[in-house]
Amino acid sequence: MSVVVAQEKKPLIRFDIKKCAFCKICELSCSKYHYKKFGDSISRITIIRKGPLMFKCHICTRCEKRFCITACPTKALSYKGGNIVVDPKLCNSCGDCVKACPFHGIKLHPENKLPIICDLCDGDPSCVKDCPKGALSLVWLPEVRK
Amino acid sequence: MKYSGYKGRVLAINLTTKKTSTIEVTDEFARKYIGGNGFAVRYLFDMVDPRMDAFDVTNVVAMMTGPFQGINSPTAGKYYMATKSPLTNGYFDSVSGGFIGAQIKYAGYDGFLITGKADKPTYLFVEDGKVEFRPAERLWGKLTGETQEMIKEEVGDPNLCVSAIGPAGENLVRYACVITEYRAAGRGGVGAVLGSKKLKAIAVRGSGTNEVADPEAYEAWMQWYKEEAKKVPGIAVGLPTYGTPALVASIGKMLGAMGSYNHQTEFFQNWENISGERLKKEFWDKDTACPACPIACSKVFSAKSGKWKGAISEGPEYETIYSLGSMCGIDDLGAIIKGDSLCDEWGMDTVTYGVMVSFLMEAYEKGLVTKDNTDGVEFKFGNDDAMIAYIEKTAKREGLGNLMAEGSLRASRVIGGGSERFAIQVKGLEIPGHSARALRGMALGYSTATRGGSHHDPRPTGEYAGASDRKAVEGKAAWVIGTQQMTTIGDSLVNCHFLERLLGFTLTQKWVDMINPVTGFGYTLEELTTVAERILDLERAFNVRTGIRRKDDTLPRRFLEEPIPEGPSQGMYTDEPTLNKMLDDFYALKGWDPKTGVPTREKLVRMGLEDVADCLNKSGISC
Repeated sequence: MSVVVAQEKKPLIRFDIKKCAFCKICELSCSKYHYKKFGDSISRITIIRKGPLMFKCHICTRCEKRFCITACPTKALSYKGGNIVVDPKLCNSCGDCVKACPFHGIKLHPENKLPIICDLCDGDPSCVKDCPKGALSLVWLPEVRK
Repeated sequence: MKYSGYKGRVLAINLTTKKTSTIEVTDEFARKYIGGNGFAVRYLFDMVDPRMDAFDVTNVVAMMTGPFQGINSPTAGKYYMATKSPLTNGYFDSVSGGFIGAQIKYAGYDGFLITGKADKPTYLFVEDGKVEFRPAERLWGKLTGETQEMIKEEVGDPNLCVSAIGPAGENLVRYACVITEYRAAGRGGVGAVLGSKKLKAIAVRGSGTNEVADPEAYEAWMQWYKEEAKKVPGIAVGLPTYGTPALVASIGKMLGAMGSYNHQTEFFQNWENISGERLKKEFWDKDTACPACPIACSKVFSAKSGKWKGAISEGPEYETIYSLGSMCGIDDLGAIIKGDSLCDEWGMDTVTYGVMVSFLMEAYEKGLVTKDNTDGVEFKFGNDDAMIAYIEKTAKREGLGNLMAEGSLRASRVIGGGSERFAIQVKGLEIPGHSARALRGMALGYSTATRGGSHHDPRPTGEYAGASDRKAVEGKAAWVIGTQQMTTIGDSLVNCHFLERLLGFTLTQKWVDMINPVTGFGYTLEELTTVAERILDLERAFNVRTGIRRKDDTLPRRFLEEPIPEGPSQGMYTDEPTLNKMLDDFYALKGWDPKTGVPTREKLVRMGLEDVADCLNKSGISC
């Protein structure tokens, strides 16, 4: 029998589809913060549009199940301080974590092929800060693990 | 490269041979032509024989970026297309919102030059320096939305950027457009030229990046933008809240300058029914934006009730409310939304289509076109069913649609009976919703614009804002030249002209201050102005080689002879002597021959275009 235990709080970048205007400023802010360059292939957040009104936000949700950690064959991924952390020494760039994430929250960096995952920009996410429509917000939810 | 914002190469794509080659972009070339407009006009001047038909296999379609694509500079989420137009026969460019501009950069290019003709329907897939010519038979005949979805599915990437043509482009409708997501490189028939090359779509993705020359100065400029933009009502409130439809009240009601019933009047009695306020209140679903743009002036609207319930579109913009609405005497926003989405889906320019319909409606009411020609349809003003039904027929060139696919100038020559007088076009391009009679600058601007009836060269905004007296004749040539220089630089950076409210309706130090941190050019205002003039002179030289002269720099007879009959701008128009005076001033200031309108050798040499002067001479044109 599993027991639900509330541990620490966990962060979530919340996406408001009604407010999002599909400008992708969040993607460019993300890449600029992490790499001082602009490009969606090195952004840890991705906005997808399907049809006139259907927008989706792909980003790490810090989900309960940690599909990526489970999928990693070399144990390169761990959950620390509210983030999925990559150990570059252990990672073999197989991409299994990318495929395992149902939220499409992981990409491989096009050059070093290491997984890139939202790390909240040291606690002050630049995507949230720069969204001109206020469609993104950082919230803290009770950490629930079974 | 020494300068930033460039990848240093343009990809030349030959659809006949299925071969590609790269053209180096040198520092000198970048500094001389900037990108977008400047790059394209130089390449097209060198590559295209302007006397050839636009659908000839040798015509080139340029798909270009400027140094601003792929960074987060506001309003730079665009791409630029140019070709010799099948509508005007001249140099023509069309700029659209879309992340594909950034992706071209990320894929490692500054742009594409597409020439030749595929033997079978084809689409291009460009990824990080790799180009594939993919079969598109199963996409041929599909609408633009479905085409994009099918390609995204085939590649397996829902985030893929695709620019596509619709059936209108395939069937060589002379004003067929290119659609990316829900936005259009709308005017002048770039889509038809792609159709003539059997190129259904271009899909691009890249894993690269773009950077700026001076990150600190760039960041400082971004902060300046954020603070200053708050103080500009149009950028801070008007566009974000209502989008361009806000103009219906200011232009239609306050100024009485919104062409209606094919410009038989410019005061639309039912303006309130098609106003931006009503759209926002009753039809609005959500705001949308071009990439990297915080203004988000685009809106998704849908009809929640009424005859056209269920119609949904990103848009309509003000120009479409004018063309499909007031021009056709239609005041049902549901019909306008439906027409907007159908034009996008079938792949044609809403402005030209609407003005074409309104032209036919007037011809019908005057008895020049009868039920025999319209398959029995009552083609009267206000008939929204006819306006909607003929979108598909035009795209397929069925019945009267075959004539409508030619545009109003060519149609008027077929219909005759003096209808050329009320074909609302300049150089073959239908005039949008900014009055040539109520705004003196637009009278001179439309007359002299490379594209003809385009509201992007020059811009009407400064006259609406009172920065130039809309009734003045003195000084108007200088004003128009100034605004054309501004739009040309905007189109070369491939930035939106809506920055004009912040940076200046003509080129100013503020424009320079935006460009230098990104590129590292260290431009002065004087050098930037020279770049603008160089590009404009090249456009003119291209058109001169197609036969364009001063005699073509004019307006529809209706505008030269009939004053606005009613409303706040009643009595206003620009007669021929007044236009001629402004033209004299214009050519004198430009350094163009006052008799012919051909740029003088002296001016071309001063712009660093001696080879262009030589080329004109070789073509038997004295300059």
